[in-house]
Amino acid sequence: MQVNSKQSIIISALLIFIVLPLLLFYLADVPSRTFLKDSISILTILSFSLMLQQFFLTRLYTKTSQSFKLSQISTIHKTLGYIILPVFLLHPFLLVAPRFFEAGVKPLDALIIMLTSFESLGVVLGLIAWGLMFLLGITAIFRYQLVKKFSINYKAWRLFHGSLTILFMSLASWHAIDLGRHINLSMAVFMIVFVLSGSVLFSWNYVFKSEKLTGAKR
Amino acid sequence: MTIQSINGCIGCGECVKSCPTDVLRLDADTGKAVIKYVADCQICHLCRMYCPVDAITISPEKTIPVVVSWG
Repeated sequence: MQVNSKQSIIISALLIFIVLPLLLFYLADVPSRTFLKDSISILTILSFSLMLQQFFLTRLYTKTSQSFKLSQISTIHKTLGYIILPVFLLHPFLLVAPRFFEAGVKPLDALIIMLTSFESLGVVLGLIAWGLMFLLGITAIFRYQLVKKFSINYKAWRLFHGSLTILFMSLASWHAIDLGRHINLSMAVFMIVFVLSGSVLFSWNYVFKSEKLTGAKR
Repeated sequence: MTIQSINGCIGCGECVKSCPTDVLRLDADTGKAVIKYVADCQICHLCRMYCPVDAITISPEKTIPVVVSWG
């Protein structure tokens, strides 16, 4: 069977951003928990992994932009974004949700203790990342209104969106590496490699060959 | 080990407060919970139950032997 470039991109994306994180999840030396808790962990890990994939579902990554129409890439990017956004926004609540079915600390108390543990760097990073994700989501949903209201170039908005994503992903990765239950060396390397490569891809295109993409004249 | 693992501790100290036998302490350097006196653990599960982020896992193999009074 002949595999064309489109199929090879889809297969590699599925393998790298869905199969690999799932494999790392199952190979991690972490005691398994209830079905609900493990499902929440898998949902979070897959959302994070698909968020990493977003860097490559843009016009910046020539391999995808040459094989697919930009409108197709844009549709997948937006759809994934709208699926991932609620998962990340609900992340703190999903963490305490299993407490509804267990004895011990009540879900609301657990949430308050968790969100007010400012001594923990991981918690502070998580709170900042949550705020950035909220901003990222809101500015993405209302992008046309923002572009119109502030009379900015749409390309400049893309630069803002990408920069905010890099900032969010860096802090979110740090938060996950510090506090993540299933984060071992291989999972940490997976995250760092894709955050770095996504950041380099973005910076390379917007900083070093910017004129066509940003409209900025240097 | 009775407490199998502590993963993702946020250092809130709820487990330290809830432990009746002082098994857990907050590490001075990292600020995270550590198992200090594991031999004293009575497997009461209070630390696990009161951890807000469910970071503590108790070994499923370890159970408290049932005490039956004579006569």
